[in-house]
Amino acid sequence: MTELKDKTAIVTGAAVGLGNAYAKALAKEGVNLAVCDIRPEIDQVKDELAEMGVSCIASTGNVSDPDFVKHFVDVTKSKFGQIDILINNAGVWGASVADDDMEKTLEDYENIVGTNLKGEFLFGRAVIPLMIDQGKGGDIINVATDHMVTCGTPYYYCEGNSECPHQDDPHGIGNVGGGPRPTGGGDAMDLYDASKWALNGLLYGWAKALKDHRIRVNALCMGATDSYMLRSFHEFNPSDEEVSQWMRAEDNAKVMIGILKEGVGGRNAQNHQFCMGREVVLESPRPQIYVLEDDVKIGGQSHVG
Amino acid sequence: MSDNNVAIVSGAARGMGKSFSERLSAEGYKVVAFDMDETVLKNKGVHGLVADVSKVDQVEAVVREANELGVIKVVVNNAGTWRRTPVESSWEQAIRDWDYIMDTNLKGVLMLSRASIAHMKAAGGDIINVSSYYVLPAKSAGTNPPDTDLYNASKWALNGFTDAWAKYLDEYGIRVNGMCMGAVDTPMLRGLYPDNKLPDEMASVVMNADDISQQLIDIIDSGRTGENFGAWVGEQISLGDRLPLHRRITG
Repeated sequence: MTELKDKTAIVTGAAVGLGNAYAKALAKEGVNLAVCDIRPEIDQVKDELAEMGVSCIASTGNVSDPDFVKHFVDVTKSKFGQIDILINNAGVWGASVADDDMEKTLEDYENIVGTNLKGEFLFGRAVIPLMIDQGKGGDIINVATDHMVTCGTPYYYCEGNSECPHQDDPHGIGNVGGGPRPTGGGDAMDLYDASKWALNGLLYGWAKALKDHRIRVNALCMGATDSYMLRSFHEFNPSDEEVSQWMRAEDNAKVMIGILKEGVGGRNAQNHQFCMGREVVLESPRPQIYVLEDDVKIGGQSHVG
Repeated sequence: MSDNNVAIVSGAARGMGKSFSERLSAEGYKVVAFDMDETVLKNKGVHGLVADVSKVDQVEAVVREANELGVIKVVVNNAGTWRRTPVESSWEQAIRDWDYIMDTNLKGVLMLSRASIAHMKAAGGDIINVSSYYVLPAKSAGTNPPDTDLYNASKWALNGFTDAWAKYLDEYGIRVNGMCMGAVDTPMLRGLYPDNKLPDEMASVVMNADDISQQLIDIIDSGRTGENFGAWVGEQISLGDRLPLHRRITG
C-alpha cells in the first residue's frame, strides 16, 4: 500500500459529479489538488477542498483547448513542485446519430470528441514529460464508460471463466438472458462511444511507453452512476426507482483510491469495469497476458489461442 | 445487380483502397475513388477524384458527384494515416500529431459517412470502416507497437461508429461493419521498414490485398451488420460464424 498523503493530483471536470467525488476522496487522503472545470463553480469547490486541509488551486477552462491545458499543468507544477496523479475525468455527453446533418456533426465532434478524447490526450501528454522528469513514478487514470468493455481487460477473461463476476450481469443494455453485456450505449451515442473506445488507444499506448518509468495507466469504465451527466440523460428528473439502482460516485471514488494505493507494481493498463447491480468494490486485477510485452511485431501473428 | 449502383472508396490511390476500388468495379459498381494523391486519376475502371477526406467541403463535393452518377450503395472508409507519436514528443508536436492522425482517421470517416448516409437511406447499402487488428479485445488488444497511441485511439474509436450506426441504420437497410486486418502487403506497411522492404519473416506471411478485397465482397454479400471482421496473418481469411451479440465488436 502506498501512502497518498502530500502527493499532488490534477482532477479535470471536478466541479460536479464523478470528478467532484474524486477530488474530495483525494483530499480526504491528504492529496494536494489542482482542479479545473468548464464551470466557474470550480472556484467554490476549491474552497471546499481547502477546508478539508489540503492545498488547492482551481481554474476555469476547456480541456480541449491546448493553451488552457498547458498553462494549467505548468501552473500546477510550479505551485506544487510535482505532479503525481492525473485523473482525466472531464467528459460530456450529447445525443448524436448517424444521419445528423453536417453542421451539427462538426459541432458535436468538437464538443464530444474534443472534451472526452482530445482533452484526455492533451492532459496526458502535458503531464507525462513532467512525471518522467520527476523520476518518482506516477499514476494516470482515464475515466471511460462501460460501453466500451465487455469484461475489463482483456475481454476473454470472462469467456468460460465461471469466476468472472460479469458472467451473469443482468443489467447490460440489450443483455437478454444474462451473460456478458454487449458493447455500445445505444444508437444516439456514436460520437460519445467513439470518444470512449478511443481511450483504449491511450491506455495501452501510454502504459506500454511508461512502465519503465514506473508510471501506471488505468481506466475506470463507468456504468450508470449518479452524476450530473447521468441526471442530464434523464432531463434532471429521474424516477426514485432509477436513482435507487444507480451507483454512487463516492463508492466509485473509493475504488479509484484503491487503485492509486496499489502504487508501483500494482495493476497497469487495465479497464476497471463498474456494473450497476453489483457491489462496487476494487476487483482483482485481470491477468496481464501480453499487453505490456515489448516484443510485439507490427501486424504480427495472432497472439492468442 | 443494377448497373446504377455507386461505391465510394476513400484513400483509393494505392494499397488497400486501390484494391477495394478495382474489385468493386469488377463487381459492377460505378466506383468513385478519391485520394489526396493525384495518381488516383490514373487508376483504371474507376471514377477518380482528387480530394482530402479531412476537408468537409471536399468530402461533400465527392458525395455530390457520386450521387449524380447513380445510387450510392457502398461506402468504404479506407483512407488512413499512420505515424509514430511517442509520448515524449514536444507539446507542439503532440498537437500536430493529433490533427494529422485524427482529422483523417476519425473525423474523415465521420464526415464521409454522414454525407453519404443522407443519400443512402432510401435504397440501403453498406458502410465499411477499415480498422486495425489491434482493436479486437478478444484477440489482440494492446498488442499495438509502441508509440502508436493516436493511431490506435483513432481505430478503437471506429468501434463506436460501427456499433452505433449499425443499430441506428438497420431500419433503413444500411449495414455497417468494420474490417480489422493484420499485416497486408501495402505501401503503408512497406513504409514502416527501411528501404520500403519487408523483412523476410514478414514477407513470407503477409496477407495480400486481393484476399482482403474478397473479404469486403463477402461482407457485403453476407447481409450481416454491426460486426468487426478480423483477418489474421497465418490464418485463412473468412467471415466466420456470426458471434453472439456481446462479441460482434470485440471479436
